[in-house]
Amino acid sequence: MTALLAVSDLATHFATRQGALKAVDGVSFSIAEGEIIGLVGESGSGKSVTGFSILGLIDPPGRIVGGSVKLRGRELVGLPARDLRAIRGREIAMVFQDPSATLNPVLTIGMQMRLALEAHGAVGEADARTRSVEVLARVGIPDAGRRLDAYPHQFSGGMRQRVAIAIALLNRPRLIICDEPTTALDVSIQAQILTEMRDLAREFGTAMIWISHDLATVSSIASRLLVMYAGRIIEEGPVADVLREPRHPYTAGLLASLPANARPGMDLRQIPGSTPSLFDLPPGCAFQPRCERRSDACIVMPELVAVGPARRHRCHHPLAGAQA
Amino acid sequence: MNALVEIRNVSKRFVPRLSLGERIAARLGQPIETRTVHAVDGVSFAIRKGEVLGLVGESGCGKSTLGRVIAGIHPPSAGFVTLDGAPLLGPDGRKRTRRVQMVFQDPFASLDPRIRIGETISEGPIAHGLTTKAEARAYAAQWLAAVGLPADAADRFPHQFSGGQRQRVAIARALAMKPDMLVCDEPVASLDVSIQAQIVNLLLKLRREFGLTMLFISHDLGIVRHISDRIAIMYLGRIVELGPTEAVYAAPAHPYTRALLDSIPKLVTDSETLVSFKPITGELPSPLSPPPGCHFHLRCPFARSECREIVPIRREAGAGRDVACHFPLET
Repeated sequence: MTALLAVSDLATHFATRQGALKAVDGVSFSIAEGEIIGLVGESGSGKSVTGFSILGLIDPPGRIVGGSVKLRGRELVGLPARDLRAIRGREIAMVFQDPSATLNPVLTIGMQMRLALEAHGAVGEADARTRSVEVLARVGIPDAGRRLDAYPHQFSGGMRQRVAIAIALLNRPRLIICDEPTTALDVSIQAQILTEMRDLAREFGTAMIWISHDLATVSSIASRLLVMYAGRIIEEGPVADVLREPRHPYTAGLLASLPANARPGMDLRQIPGSTPSLFDLPPGCAFQPRCERRSDACIVMPELVAVGPARRHRCHHPLAGAQA
Repeated sequence: MNALVEIRNVSKRFVPRLSLGERIAARLGQPIETRTVHAVDGVSFAIRKGEVLGLVGESGCGKSTLGRVIAGIHPPSAGFVTLDGAPLLGPDGRKRTRRVQMVFQDPFASLDPRIRIGETISEGPIAHGLTTKAEARAYAAQWLAAVGLPADAADRFPHQFSGGQRQRVAIARALAMKPDMLVCDEPVASLDVSIQAQIVNLLLKLRREFGLTMLFISHDLGIVRHISDRIAIMYLGRIVELGPTEAVYAAPAHPYTRALLDSIPKLVTDSETLVSFKPITGELPSPLSPPPGCHFHLRCPFARSECREIVPIRREAGAGRDVACHFPLET
């Protein structure tokens, strides 16, 4: 399997008065054509910044300070803005959390879709319309032909997110980066969109990076899971394997704290402490102050080590899996 | 068990204020469409002493508005709320009692950024004579300790705390009023996953220690199941189902409840099973113009002609449960 996208040692830092904030600090992973991976972490873990960095959407004071992002072998880091623009929306598209912030409120949906098409090649008005209606219908917008002339505020939140997804699909990208696309939606709408996205990815062979804080959502769409903590990947593997047999104490702690894994009314297993500030990271493993398995060794940053063909973890004292 | 709080036929309508242009037009005799939102529409139920009642629904269903009516923040447009048999609100429509307190979703918005934590906590109790200015410091420290914060937190400002710690402060502020009942509106929704369990555990502990009665409002069905004794499901301003939590989760009686439970993504730990959702079709109708009859009929796979015309009355479905549906599911 050739990698569609290969990210290696990616580091994105933000220059602040208190020094460099290492939002993403040495992240490596790859995605095959048509694969859906889940990128999971809490706020400040660097999962969104990773997604933004792939597309070169980091504004000052942020900067990609190291590493590489290769799309089918072509380096994206350091590419001139013009070349990046040709890739954004064409080869890699993005769907953001809040569709009301990504759609232009003063343009009709049809116009925004036409602009997205024209950005990557001349299309006639009629062609643009046909293509737009086709894609809108595909993401489940009823009466798509008439809805083209509507403005974003005339759609509900769920429908707006479908429009954003339709725009992402317009140019048939190879990869869609989805940054918490269902977090702002109700569960019934979330379930609809999850099912549709999964079917679309399968039908078009589109690869996806699904960024979320919700393990259950990710587990229902992705096949491989990457867990991030304080700017680094701390665990990786096939979704079901990681959730069944987490190796990193943080992943295990997160899973144990879910109400589904506790008896109703009894205390939940909790991870003590709070997520560390990126300005004030503990030495070595960033999770060590909250970890019940820590030892003196943990003040040295553990490497991300491979276990078997598919799993990796960054821990000196991993939990022993049944197959380890 | 005795009811602590009774909600009788409570409705809450919001009528948007007309703009200047619309007011002029109305003066000139133009018909002006007033768009009234029926946020809560004829809701009745009782909350028993010492129980945790979960209130669940999607955004816009009126669960937060109902919570605020029960906490005495919004006066109801119709119906009334009683606490131990006495009206919650005075004749002027304002709440006089400290016995119902509220914890809000966003601890960044619910704490005054310019007031020290100690003062935030002791302000209400001083006004209600629970403590004095001289003893306020010790009083605040006592409640900070109850929520697991150090006494010196009293001297700090909200911005010096993390989200989880702020929510602890908000809970301490509510507890310091020595309430019988706590209305918690999405208390963990804005917190990180690893912090949510801490706050849920804190609420469980406080319930045991102080014998608190709680209304726990949330859209997170997993957390509600964990914390609630009984659960009420709300759809477009009405309660569609109410009953003991485990019974409702095991066998929902209302098609909406079942659809909602089917929509929750579950952790997949077996790579062989392909997850299949049975998503509810369609969208939540606008509360400005809810459909006639049963509000859910447009999205309901079992809807028949009655459902389009007649509003189903909530009635007993056995084992302490009730459901507002013409054709409830077998339980």
